[in-house]
Amino acid sequence: MPYSAEISRTNPSCFIFLIDQSGSMVEPISGGDGKRKCDVVADSINRLLHNLIIKCARGEGIRDFYELAVIGYGAQVAPGFSGPLAGRDIVPLSEVANNPARVEERIKELDDGAGGVIQQKTKFPVWFEPVAKGTTPMGGALDLAHHLLSGWCQQRNYSYPPIVINISDGEATDFGPEPQAEALTSLHTSDGNVLLLNIHISGENMTPIVFPDNDEDLPDEFARTLFQVSSVLPPGMRELAKNESLDLNEGARGFAFNADMIELIRFLDIGTRSSTMR
Amino acid sequence: MEATVQVFWTPKKGNTPDEYEDAYGCDVEEGRYAISDGATESSFAEIWSTILTQKFVTTPPVGEPPEEKTIEDWVTPLQREWHANIMWDRLPWFAEEKARKGAFATLLGMEFFDDESDDDGVMDKLLFMFKKQKTAGPRWRALTIGDSNFYQIRDDEMITAWPLTKGIQFTHRPTLISSNPKSNDTIWNQFRFQTGEYEEGDTFILATDAIAKWFLDRVELGEKPWRVLDQVKTEHDFETLVSELRAGLKMQNDDTTIISIHWEEDPEDE
Repeated sequence: MPYSAEISRTNPSCFIFLIDQSGSMVEPISGGDGKRKCDVVADSINRLLHNLIIKCARGEGIRDFYELAVIGYGAQVAPGFSGPLAGRDIVPLSEVANNPARVEERIKELDDGAGGVIQQKTKFPVWFEPVAKGTTPMGGALDLAHHLLSGWCQQRNYSYPPIVINISDGEATDFGPEPQAEALTSLHTSDGNVLLLNIHISGENMTPIVFPDNDEDLPDEFARTLFQVSSVLPPGMRELAKNESLDLNEGARGFAFNADMIELIRFLDIGTRSSTMR
Repeated sequence: MEATVQVFWTPKKGNTPDEYEDAYGCDVEEGRYAISDGATESSFAEIWSTILTQKFVTTPPVGEPPEEKTIEDWVTPLQREWHANIMWDRLPWFAEEKARKGAFATLLGMEFFDDESDDDGVMDKLLFMFKKQKTAGPRWRALTIGDSNFYQIRDDEMITAWPLTKGIQFTHRPTLISSNPKSNDTIWNQFRFQTGEYEEGDTFILATDAIAKWFLDRVELGEKPWRVLDQVKTEHDFETLVSELRAGLKMQNDDTTIISIHWEEDPEDE
């Protein structure tokens, strides 16, 4: 059965995050209390990396169940890590854990259990900084992901297939994204094809469409194109979505359109949680 | 009666023996045995499972069944012991954050009594004496939380499976006991307690979930998996069996542990 390989240190899996860094990412995101899209996306990616690291922490170290890359696309298409990992593409999770660009101290508000709120200081490691400049070379970003993963899939033939998550607020301005996306998702390990999940985030207060199984409700050609190039969710991921009270049909795709801040975070969580990690 | 005890364990495939997170404890003299499956998703689970099993075989919670408060009071010093075993100031940020969430584990503890043995604690002894007048013959009692299981075999039949009785009942989310008190708020009423009798010739098999599930799956197919385990005489035999079952997808790849206790006539009683 595809998408059932055990994720282990011998056979790790891989995440690639493709982050739109075009000029429009300075605009506020829907449901984000005026926060800029680029800031919300950077926070979401940093928090996701943090959670993944804690999930894979054992004893004094990290078990390298995953390798990952962050690719930014805007004024240029390039690896997006800051700090010691700047310029690196696919990095084992333990290296990510040990090399944040900086560690911020943030205030977290917690329920005090008596109707009030208490504030608690928490560490917030940062690997990826917000950038908003230039156009939307999504095709180029998918091309780079294809380049990185074609070697990876050959080396890691027994691994759970890589998951590529593309976060963008607009149409590709280069020559994409269909042929590049098709090439990317034709790569495979013995456990299945590379999964491409697309999240379109919006500044407008519109109802998000999440994990659709058809393109009937999608408003335009751009949305339908992103739907078409998004992978059908494997059963395990569909189960995770069901646990989040999302009722998905069998053909549900890894696609969200007009996602607000909450849907972005939920989508990333479902797309990166695995039940087969050992 | 005299017990012949064998323990076999092997880590999950792909892990080294020092990454084994199950634990077991045996005190043959006192007739106490315990097995624990440290949750692999948590950190320092091997320390927690070891503390739980060692404490059970030296000083199990008293009472038949132990009250919720008794169990909670029994666990509190063990949580402090776990905390003291970790070199907190040496941990990198992620390891500290993970460890602060606490370690998690199952626990299955069994005690065997026959007419000759002493019980533990004055109150317990009184309770036991009371029981003994009512029930003739040797008895066992078991306390558990989570999905470690035991089987009692008599005359080539399984006469007890506890606490789980069907393979399908093994889920990936058993209730676990944590080294972090904050995570234990809702678990105290989920401890389960059971007593029963045993006699010469009986075999008890205590098992962590992967092999415990395999065992019940085979029973449900009309097979007698205890015969397979009976052929296991050495660690090598056990590792070979587990490898074959994993490769044949009959057993999940997980830390795997069994304690086998076979009761025979005591030669000194002859």
